[in-house]
Amino acid sequence: MAMAMAIEVSIWRGRANGRYQTFTVPLDQSQTVLDVVTWVQRKLDPTLAYRFACRVGMCGSCAMTVNGRPRWTCRTHISKVVEAGRVEIGPLANMPIIKDLVCDMAEFFAKWQRAKGAFAPGKSRHDPIERISPAAAERVAADAAIECINCAVCYAACDTVRWNENYLGPAALNRAWTLVNDVRDAGQRERLAALAADGGCHACHSHHSCQEHCPKALSPVRSIAGLKRRSLEAYVRGEL
Amino acid sequence: MIERLETDVLILGSGGAGLFAALHAHQTDANLVVTVATKGLLGKCGCTRMVQGGYNVALNPGDSIERHFMDTIEGGKWLPNQAMAWTLVTKAIERVHELENEVGCFFDRNPDGTLHGKAFAGQTFDRTVHKGDLTGIEIINRLMEQVWARPIRRLEEHRAVALIPAKDGASLAGVLMVDVRTGRLRFVAARAVLLATGAGPTMYRYHTPSGDKSMDGLAMALRLGLPLRDMEMVQFHPTGLLAGPDTRMTGTVLEEGLRGAGGHLINGNGERFMAARDARAERATRDFVSRCIFEEMRAHRTTRNGGVHLKMSHLGPERVRAEFKGMVERCADCGFDLAGGLVEVVPTAHYLMGGVVCDVDTATEMPGLFVAGEDAGGAHGANRLGGNGVANSTVFGGIAGESMAAWVAKNGGHRPPDEAVIEAEAARALTPFARKAGDLNPLRERLLETMWEDVGVIRDAGGLKRGLDKLDGIEAELLATGVGEGDRDFNLTWHDWLNLCSLVAASKAIAAAALARKNSRGAHFREDFPGEGDLGTSTFTVVRQRQGALEVADEPVAFTLVKPGQSLLKEAAQ
Repeated sequence: MAMAMAIEVSIWRGRANGRYQTFTVPLDQSQTVLDVVTWVQRKLDPTLAYRFACRVGMCGSCAMTVNGRPRWTCRTHISKVVEAGRVEIGPLANMPIIKDLVCDMAEFFAKWQRAKGAFAPGKSRHDPIERISPAAAERVAADAAIECINCAVCYAACDTVRWNENYLGPAALNRAWTLVNDVRDAGQRERLAALAADGGCHACHSHHSCQEHCPKALSPVRSIAGLKRRSLEAYVRGEL
Repeated sequence: MIERLETDVLILGSGGAGLFAALHAHQTDANLVVTVATKGLLGKCGCTRMVQGGYNVALNPGDSIERHFMDTIEGGKWLPNQAMAWTLVTKAIERVHELENEVGCFFDRNPDGTLHGKAFAGQTFDRTVHKGDLTGIEIINRLMEQVWARPIRRLEEHRAVALIPAKDGASLAGVLMVDVRTGRLRFVAARAVLLATGAGPTMYRYHTPSGDKSMDGLAMALRLGLPLRDMEMVQFHPTGLLAGPDTRMTGTVLEEGLRGAGGHLINGNGERFMAARDARAERATRDFVSRCIFEEMRAHRTTRNGGVHLKMSHLGPERVRAEFKGMVERCADCGFDLAGGLVEVVPTAHYLMGGVVCDVDTATEMPGLFVAGEDAGGAHGANRLGGNGVANSTVFGGIAGESMAAWVAKNGGHRPPDEAVIEAEAARALTPFARKAGDLNPLRERLLETMWEDVGVIRDAGGLKRGLDKLDGIEAELLATGVGEGDRDFNLTWHDWLNLCSLVAASKAIAAAALARKNSRGAHFREDFPGEGDLGTSTFTVVRQRQGALEVADEPVAFTLVKPGQSLLKEAAQ
């Protein structure tokens, strides 16, 4: 990439009724989308608001909509997203805008809790740590879904979330699936009831946007399919 | 107009220390109103989440707490507070049980289903419990869920700007905060406060911590007149990514294991310089490898951006891709080929061993104020073992929650705050709105450069004095620089100004302590005093701010459990 080139960057400003504002930013060899946003705030418009923390794809604070697609900005090289010398950066969809590129994730985290996404202990710190084979089928299923960093990229990409505000969304359901497969958890019946309720796993239309966009290459679709199966089995057994 | 809020317990920070404190305060007394205030989103800012390595704990029958203790003391070059180090290694066992059995973390298992302990540098036993190389994400995600599930209040995107004493000055009354989203000031009155903002030496040109960190906790403690120990002890990691000046990728850590697996460091002349410096070559300790790289840089034997190259390809790109998937992917996202090519690296400031002086129960000199995690000093001494960081924050965070609940029960209600201090601190925080708008970027650059060049990996009296002078100059200019008339809601440039204020204050304490320590221990290296000094008469530095000036004192290390030359292991064996 030539060093002296510049790009046109359109950035969302304001709240729900805001607009895009265009800046010219010089390109650099090592430059992420987050670096471009930072450059605008530091050099062109000190009032630009955005959220970031870890810089390396661990905290899930800096996801934004880049050319219409939700993604982490800290781990996206600018050359991957520039089209004809332009890039458009907005806040994540499906969540209220606080200001400019910052969205309010409160509902996303509230749904995580509604999905019973917290471990329900059956033992205490005074008990021995449970011996669990890493090769056990349930552990393998949980491990395949556990590395989620709650960045909300899948939630922003999900059509069902957009149409059905009651829907728990892929991240919360994916977390619940890891707990359904956790043999140490003592809250399974209550969890399955929450997951089978309105807005739960059966609301998913399997459009696959979540797994197409997940930066960790997780498959919430597979997790949700697992939940649908488990909740039907529980229903048949009369447990729901 | 300053809004007022009240809580029983106020916790500043939502890393391992803050979240554990919240859980334990609530467990100790469910009637307490417990509030966690955090600069970003709960659990999503700060550094516990970024832990790659794991959690040191002596669980294996072949290991022992005495062995973990001796590794910690020897790693810390005999400077650690031995009571704190002992508490760290003993409580870590209960904490890991709590993380697994109550919080819901699932750490990697051996084929027989027991917890896997991996090898980590500087330790005589493979005791580092982990979840792949993303241990911090597992710990913080699970802690965050447990905090959400309880009636614990959250003040997210709330930044602490000052610790406010009571009117009579005898205790703490609460904390002055900025609500980042509205830009309004809030005074939160609390019966007990925990400082757990996580330090983080981000004032160096190259640094690894989360980009939101700015040493607010230590800067506030300095302004309150509290003693800070071991401030010269800044740990540098030898391999930070070097990607150029205008990217937040620069400084982020490339893991220790890359050198451990056989990675080579190559200077700008194409020479593998570590081979001539140490029998262990690239596998030498973090501090030594960092100094060797720094010397290459000083001699201008550097690569394009002024660092050295890390080369992994001789191990076979396929193997590197398989063993270091996360690192290879991260480098690739940023345009570098770690598996097959060369990646530019540079030493990078990683962790501050120093912090607020406290007791084993986390109490500070100021009644009502407690401290835990990277803001607290004492547990690590002159160097921190990899894997002792998250053990420290979770162990002492939990203890802090219990201590605060007990303290509140014994010491009654809220104390009226010193309104004059609230007013002065509010005015200080709003200073840049009363000044002519200027450019903060050159000031940030000068701070990063000063700390790197004069207070960095290799130090001497001349450089440290020059550094202190430059820091005074930067501070004076900063206080005269405004941020424009813009709205105060989510005004990052105002927060950049506040970040710089805190970083300059903490930088001065680091430089002053480094000037006072006239020997070389652990992370601190003085070219003019390269010897480690007599271990038996070891002292640690204590910095305080009085009437705006820093005072540094030396205090003798109390060898309460073991003296240099002795080992608890030998005694255990007798």
